Amino acid sequence: MAELQMLDPNEHAVSGRYRLWWRFSRNASAVAGSVIILSVVILAVFAPWLTPHPKDAGMVVDFLHRHQPPSAEHWFGTDKVGRDIFSRTVFGLRISLLLVVGVLGISVPSGAVLGLCAGYFGGWTERIIGGLTNIMLAMPPLVMALAISNLLEPNLFNAMLSITILWWTWHARLVYNVSKSIATEDYVEAARLSGAGPAHILFREILPNCVPVISVKTTLDAAFVILFGATLSFLGFGVQPPTPDLGTMVADARQYLPEYWWEVVCPGAAILYVTLGFNLLGDGLRDMFDVGS
Amino acid sequence: MHDQPTTAIFYRLGSFALVMLGLAVTIFVLARVVPGDPARLALGPAATAEQVNALRHEMGLDQPLVVQFFSYVGRAIRGDFGYSLVSQRPVIVDLKETVPATLELVITSVVFMFIVAVPLGVVTARYRGRWIDLVGRILSLTGVTIPSFLFAITLQLVFARLFPSFPILGRLDHGLGFSSGPTGFLLIDGTLAGRFDVVADALKHLALPAFALAMAGIGQITRITRSAMLENQRKDHVLTLRSFGVPERVIVFRYLLKLSAIAPLTIMGLEFASLIGNAFVVEMIFSWGGFASYGLNAILQKDLNAVIAVVLVSGLFFVAANLVVDILITLIDPRLRHRGSR
Amino acid sequence: MAAALLDVQGLDVFFTTYGRKRQVLRDVGFSIAPSERVALIGETGSGKSVTAKAIIGTLPNNATIDGGRIALEGEDVLSLSRDRREALKGTAFSLIMQDPLSSFNPVFRIGTHLDDVMRFADRRNGIRNGKAARRKRIAEVLRRVQLSEPERVMNAWPSELSGGMRQRVLIGLALLHRPRLLIADEPGTALDVTTQDEILNLVNRLVEEEGMALLLITHNLGVVRKAADRVVVMHHGDIVETGPTERIMKEPAAAYTLSLLDAVPALFGPKVTDQPESRGVPIVTIRNLDKLYGRRQHRFHAVKNVSFDLRKGEIFGLAGESGSGKTSVARMVMGLTPPSAGTIEIDGKAAGDRRATQIVYQNPGTSLNPRRSVEQTLTLPLASIGMRGAARSARLDELMQLVRLPRSYLGKYPHELSGGQKQRVAIARALAAEPRILILDEPTAALDVSVQKTIIDLLLQLRDELGLTYLIISHDLSLMRNFCSRIAIMLRGEIVEEGRPAELFAEPEHPYTRALISAIPVVSDDEEHLKPKVTETERQRFLVAATQ
Repeated sequence: MAELQMLDPNEHAVSGRYRLWWRFSRNASAVAGSVIILSVVILAVFAPWLTPHPKDAGMVVDFLHRHQPPSAEHWFGTDKVGRDIFSRTVFGLRISLLLVVGVLGISVPSGAVLGLCAGYFGGWTERIIGGLTNIMLAMPPLVMALAISNLLEPNLFNAMLSITILWWTWHARLVYNVSKSIATEDYVEAARLSGAGPAHILFREILPNCVPVISVKTTLDAAFVILFGATLSFLGFGVQPPTPDLGTMVADARQYLPEYWWEVVCPGAAILYVTLGFNLLGDGLRDMFDVGS
Repeated sequence: MHDQPTTAIFYRLGSFALVMLGLAVTIFVLARVVPGDPARLALGPAATAEQVNALRHEMGLDQPLVVQFFSYVGRAIRGDFGYSLVSQRPVIVDLKETVPATLELVITSVVFMFIVAVPLGVVTARYRGRWIDLVGRILSLTGVTIPSFLFAITLQLVFARLFPSFPILGRLDHGLGFSSGPTGFLLIDGTLAGRFDVVADALKHLALPAFALAMAGIGQITRITRSAMLENQRKDHVLTLRSFGVPERVIVFRYLLKLSAIAPLTIMGLEFASLIGNAFVVEMIFSWGGFASYGLNAILQKDLNAVIAVVLVSGLFFVAANLVVDILITLIDPRLRHRGSR
Repeated sequence: MAAALLDVQGLDVFFTTYGRKRQVLRDVGFSIAPSERVALIGETGSGKSVTAKAIIGTLPNNATIDGGRIALEGEDVLSLSRDRREALKGTAFSLIMQDPLSSFNPVFRIGTHLDDVMRFADRRNGIRNGKAARRKRIAEVLRRVQLSEPERVMNAWPSELSGGMRQRVLIGLALLHRPRLLIADEPGTALDVTTQDEILNLVNRLVEEEGMALLLITHNLGVVRKAADRVVVMHHGDIVETGPTERIMKEPAAAYTLSLLDAVPALFGPKVTDQPESRGVPIVTIRNLDKLYGRRQHRFHAVKNVSFDLRKGEIFGLAGESGSGKTSVARMVMGLTPPSAGTIEIDGKAAGDRRATQIVYQNPGTSLNPRRSVEQTLTLPLASIGMRGAARSARLDELMQLVRLPRSYLGKYPHELSGGQKQRVAIARALAAEPRILILDEPTAALDVSVQKTIIDLLLQLRDELGLTYLIISHDLSLMRNFCSRIAIMLRGEIVEEGRPAELFAEPEHPYTRALISAIPVVSDDEEHLKPKVTETERQRFLVAATQ
């Protein structure tokens, strides 16, 4: 039993959870990102109670107060029909988060499962999933999303659908690369020799080891999805009026530049704020988990 | 041993052909099945059933989908993408006019990306934690957090205010009286014609849209170059050179740079598709009149022949870009040259 | 000792991880005279590598030197400016890197590395030389490290050279500017035993010819006896003992040194253990086994016509160097890869019965899933044989007792365990479903020598308690000498010799067996004399086969 005492007490006294917390709390980027995202989530969830003019999220018209600059009453000013831009921006964030949850909630799990299967089973599974992924990656995402959502009918659901159809490939590819290398690890073979079935090996042995990479990618992706959705609606293919959407708001206000600058700047800054949050958190998580590019 | 690199290239070419075929199937099925009857779309609601049927027959729509597909592919390979419903001209003619403009923009912005992002990634990794790293990180965060339409609009506004004479729309000043020459690339045609005023003006016009388009990539590539550099810095071979007193600048700018170029090149290839997507937005804002504007218009008008052609050509760009990336990476990494055809 | 080439005094080094500072070197002091060969020996975490890094100046960023002095030829290097310190590299001292695989940048030719190292060392020393002159000098040095075609080596990519060749280039790199002190960090450890022996001979000869001093960092006592005049023994950041090699090997003063020496399995002499021969019936019968990998011109014949019996209760060893085919045989017995030809019968039935055989892997760091607790790891095989509830819980207790681990360890994750403890968990997992045959794939190769001994003892006890049969594959002949009841030596896919260890080691018949045994570093002169004699041509013959 000599080796039990030979353990270096300092080396192993630190639990995994403590290590992660330690790294998180020292990681300015991760902390700042989390604070931003938390604030956005709170604003979005409680939008009807936190905004001064929740009714302005709809089809309200108040021509008397159109194009008003930012003031105590209207923090971000008012738009071309006199609606409160701050309220609309907060409701716009709500749409953005909904898009993120909808797109990533479907494409990340499905991409991960396909990637896992391709990486572990190899052979024809690998070839078919790999081929499919390669084809999808060759499609310019914005062009395809535009085409799909316009051929169907431009609205939030179809925008979400068209982004989701394209998005899973990135996760499939990522998880495939990781799981392919993990699949050759001794512990996977040992599990197989212990009588574990494919489901156990995929989801209990391999998947947990992919979690760091997936979570970093998913966080960074959230920012991309928001940008993507905003671009779609900027071009008029996403969320349709009067639903407040950040991209649509920028597109609508563009013609009034530069006089009524706040109508572009405020929703624009909101996009920046939320994407910055996800990017900071993603960068921070990458440092914490020490996963490469 | 000597035939292995060529085998590898042929293998890649084969897989790219498959990717193109798969892309063709997807978009073809999408365009034929989703929107309903293309003949009805083309003729509008006022047309009679006979007229629609006649057009259906003319377009071959009454044949099985598989037959339609293969005859389409057969024609597309020869450059025949059918007629555009909007411009009433063969799609290929429209493409010939618009593709060079987009290529000029995209290539300039890729060059821009690498010139800015790779050195920035290297320097930020080299001086990790110092002020230059902070500047680099802010710049790369700006790139990945600001949507390109917002960036493009901001650039336009700022330049319109500060330098009213700087062009913020179009490809060339009409006052120069120059229309594009044999290649369609203004920079090349201008040079060929000896019109250096044209080249200078074209460059001026290119600057803002190329920068706006490059911004997202600059953010990504800086980030990836930086993390590849940091990762490679921990490798044993760096320790070897360090312990024999090879100066840090040689280790960083010679040994690490070449090794760390592989990651951003790979990402560049993959991100090429989204670069083309962003070109749609940037071209629209800068009234560029390129292939992306053409595509956007085709999608808006449900001009199906043009839509299919636009998607296929975009895919071709992607495939070509990845082939170039593959060749570059193979040139960098000797291990890939000896790995054989697998 | 004013004439000391290197003098280290009261060195204290701390590492800061997760905000906690811990001492990794405590008052380390020793010195090296010109032309003296000193070995720094210790196990994982002893601080031997940290000491070397402190001397060279390549400590990681989270390390701090809080006290002490490192003097090179009377000059304290810790107080030198960065530039002055850089200037010492290559000329005052040189380092032979440990891992020949990753020590070169894969996208640059070998010659580029050498040329850059030489160019900047020249520049620091005010030597002006053209590229051609440098190339000539590099070729000379490469010839000195017995690379007969220097031009070819210089033009090669790192991935095109064998491990032995890369290790030679690394030695050449260290010699470029005739340093006065050569620092060798585990030279050749990652290589096969015959190649390692060759590398050690080379280092020894060069040190003698050039009149250099040598600081050898190693965990292998046999290597120390062969290549050092004096030994510094380190343990947990302390120096426990210093003295001439001869004295330390014969009569160590510190208890730790003694335990270290005791843990080294003996090759010859009275300390050797003979395992009794098994009289049991054959439990595994292997006949005319063949394995081919790849297709057409890339075809590789990994196993050729291998036949042997595994008798009940015995410990059968398959010994050989990398590429000998021993792992392929083990994988075929496990049913992990199908044989290309031949038969494997376990208890008269064709192989593939998962319940009968289990495997213990070489590296417990990679054979345990880092995200699964000990309990989860051990439950898996139990669940798959349908054991649950109280029975399963009782079996978990039993397994932990079998491998001598406290029950509380069930909740721990691999990173909270030491190497030896991890290997115990791996053994418990292999035993969980009550197999009759255990395949041991280099079960101690990744462990420190003192831990190795405890694992081997545990395996021997388990065999007696549970009536197991072992098939062990290893390159470590001194381990197998004491552990196996029968050994087969494999070379290039074939079994070249088979027999009881006592006979095989006393009178090896095949020249390869002789070469292999004679290359093993041993800890006493008596054992050295008992090694079989090998002619130079024989040695070279097998060396080439193993390094190409």
